[in-house]
Amino acid sequence: MVRFRPLWPLAAVTALIAVPLLPLAASAQTPKYGGVLVTAPLSAAPSLSPHEESTVAVVQQASPCFNNLVYYDPAKKQESGDTIIPELAEKWSWQDNHRNLVFLLRRDVKWHDGKPFTSQDVKYTFDLVRGSPDAKGRLRVNPRKLWYENVEGIEAPDPHTVVFRLKKPQPSLLLMLASGYSPVYPAHVPLPEFKNKCIGTGPFKLKENKPGEYVEYVKNPDYFVKGRPYLDGLKFVVIRDRSTQIAAVQSGQLDVAGTGWNRANAEDAKKGAPKLVVVEADSNVNDNVLINFKKAPFTDRRVRQAINLAMDRKGYLIGPRQGAATFGGALLPKPAGVWGLPAAEVSRLAGMGDPAKQKAEARKLLAEAGFGANNPLKFTLSTRALPIYVDTASWMVDQLQQVGIEATLEQIETGVWHPKMTRLEYQVALNLTGVGIDDPDAQLFENYRCGSQRNFSGYCSEEIDRLMLEQSQTLDRAKRLALVNDIDRKLQADGARPVLGWGKQHWVMWPHVKGWAVHENSIYNVSRRQDVWMAK
Amino acid sequence: MKIYILKRVIIAGVTLLGMSMLIFVLMRLAPGNITDIIFESAGYVDEADRHRLEAELGIDKPVAIQYLNWLGDFVRGDLGKSYRYELPAWDVIKPRLPVTLELAVLALGFSVLLGVPTGVISAVRRGRPVDYALRVFSLAGLSMPSFWLGMIVILLLVRSLGWIPSMTYVSPFDNLGANLFQFLLPALAVGYRSSALIMRITRSTMLEVLREDYIRTAWAKGQRSTQVVWRHAFKNASLPVITLIGIEFAFLIGGLIVTETVFNLPGVARYLVDAIQGRDYPIVQNLAMLIAVVVVTANLVVDLLYTWLDPRIKYGQA
Repeated sequence: MVRFRPLWPLAAVTALIAVPLLPLAASAQTPKYGGVLVTAPLSAAPSLSPHEESTVAVVQQASPCFNNLVYYDPAKKQESGDTIIPELAEKWSWQDNHRNLVFLLRRDVKWHDGKPFTSQDVKYTFDLVRGSPDAKGRLRVNPRKLWYENVEGIEAPDPHTVVFRLKKPQPSLLLMLASGYSPVYPAHVPLPEFKNKCIGTGPFKLKENKPGEYVEYVKNPDYFVKGRPYLDGLKFVVIRDRSTQIAAVQSGQLDVAGTGWNRANAEDAKKGAPKLVVVEADSNVNDNVLINFKKAPFTDRRVRQAINLAMDRKGYLIGPRQGAATFGGALLPKPAGVWGLPAAEVSRLAGMGDPAKQKAEARKLLAEAGFGANNPLKFTLSTRALPIYVDTASWMVDQLQQVGIEATLEQIETGVWHPKMTRLEYQVALNLTGVGIDDPDAQLFENYRCGSQRNFSGYCSEEIDRLMLEQSQTLDRAKRLALVNDIDRKLQADGARPVLGWGKQHWVMWPHVKGWAVHENSIYNVSRRQDVWMAK
Repeated sequence: MKIYILKRVIIAGVTLLGMSMLIFVLMRLAPGNITDIIFESAGYVDEADRHRLEAELGIDKPVAIQYLNWLGDFVRGDLGKSYRYELPAWDVIKPRLPVTLELAVLALGFSVLLGVPTGVISAVRRGRPVDYALRVFSLAGLSMPSFWLGMIVILLLVRSLGWIPSMTYVSPFDNLGANLFQFLLPALAVGYRSSALIMRITRSTMLEVLREDYIRTAWAKGQRSTQVVWRHAFKNASLPVITLIGIEFAFLIGGLIVTETVFNLPGVARYLVDAIQGRDYPIVQNLAMLIAVVVVTANLVVDLLYTWLDPRIKYGQA
């Protein structure tokens, strides 16, 4: 007897994909002023200093206070060099064959405390970040120093001009300056104050910050973008429990929620309040397998490849990712990403083929490396003690078992996760990596270059390092893409930090929320919220 | 009596000293320290910067020195500075105390108001339908974790009314009505479990007392039932109940982690967990010590109440 599958899952997925179009259609309406939008961030912000943090929680809660020299256009879903818009810089130009990046600054900008914004603030900020010996301060921690290592010097010839002098051409510098992690700080405010306060030039002024509870902003009446922001205020209420977050958005206490949610959370919220709008989009956060290159037997390429082949990517999509992920190599795949491998190549990556055949190949490779039924490969699979990590790692243990690998799951307390990874105190690990911008200079240098502090697998290849530098200095975009793809292919062949997939982001909001922009290739650079308004 | 109180105060002091050592050592046994946490949120570790930070925060000194420094400061009333927020520890702890105290007092009030009368009724009506009904009611209270009950209540409210209590704390000084509304549900959820415990203890001690000769005599004298039950029986049955209330109060001060999380109340317990995860030593040590002081004081108060409730108890005498 022929049995028909119920159609509701298909209908739900169709609705999920179609519904994002609704807010875009509505954004054609005339914006209204007023109202305080309430949302829940990913977690409490450890500080309001984006330069010293690497969590989206800080970018979300601090971005409304600040401005960058340039920023990614919130209205364009895909971030790239073509979607960069001016903020504190009115104009910019590359000079001296991309060795100098010159910014002409706005003259009508004031800090929230009334002091004028000048080029000295820009020089101060980026001297801090690049750890210049001349810097008038020192960041307590400096996670993005690497981004600016090609900057030779920063000059402020007059109050409204700034010049970034580079050692070598690097077109990606502009993209890094457009990131949510690159706001301009006021030179006259001591750095430690950004732990709990915020003096910026942005569309919203800090009203109150109760660490661990909420961050509340009011409209900046002196904002240099005339007519913005639309909202009178913006409030980030920290709600730790996911179920309570869902109840809070259903009851209308939150206008928008969804950071860190999966598809099931979004569907749950909508089930209880059908008027809620669900937005699903790609993101540049990937699940990746860290295989310790410094420890035997993982120094053996066959072992690394066997582990990679054992992970059936389609199973990963259906299982831990609940149908919400895309596949790719080291860089976010197209169409959401700019630099990823072509789809045809992605479909041929390890783990993408027939699971039975791939697992048989994995077993063969393991046998060649000296592991078999009588001498199984045994290791500890470490992961961070957070559900989003543990779910995928548990699935991995099962996949590895199917090729005869005996993996024991180790949950590492979240507070010591990165220190352990940095010191390579693990054998194999499941990690999540989000990169500030969808650009090879950020992704490759941070995660794959020899000796990088965030190269958690210890992978090191002189050839790859050379190619990385070459692509970084290549001005022709097509040539650069070809080089980047070439690097990606080599990384996949080496089994360097295999990517299981790129997760999707889910937002849930009431229909009265308009202009809540979501970018498909980064979650970090779209939180200014000056264009958000409420139709109520 | 004075000697007894003095002895108890000395014992309390020694207990607190022991607690301080335990708290201090346990925090240091946990893997990683605050610098790990700071770098955790930065997503990498720079060993040179890490050592610089350790020196800046004074955690590069020998543990014994760190302990003595902290203890000295604590005794002087200096709670130090939160590593994470770079704010005075007291400024961080102070606003959270009233939240937890209010929740604990309301929950305890509710549990006493519900648990004591139902316990007495259940004992007096032993073996009757009302007794069985109340015992099932109390067993349900003990079986359901308060955070689970709270979550169910929230889900029911949002489904049926589209409403849940405020997700940001409303101070009673700003709006008393809204504040009570916000605390009502968590207090009921927590209080129900405590009331079940109180009900069961009240019932069992009442059953013992009701079998005593003097109660039989009171009935024989023709005294009114309320007088027999409440004045003669309950007063003598209340000692274990008072002890339990003291223990429950101490538990409620530091043990409502999940309830505070579910109802998003910025109380002490939830914050303590955050601080432990963040290895914010000054906050954890001082908060845990404050909770220890409350527990020790609650026990002392309960012991002193015994003399008032039962004049036969004479402390400090052989």
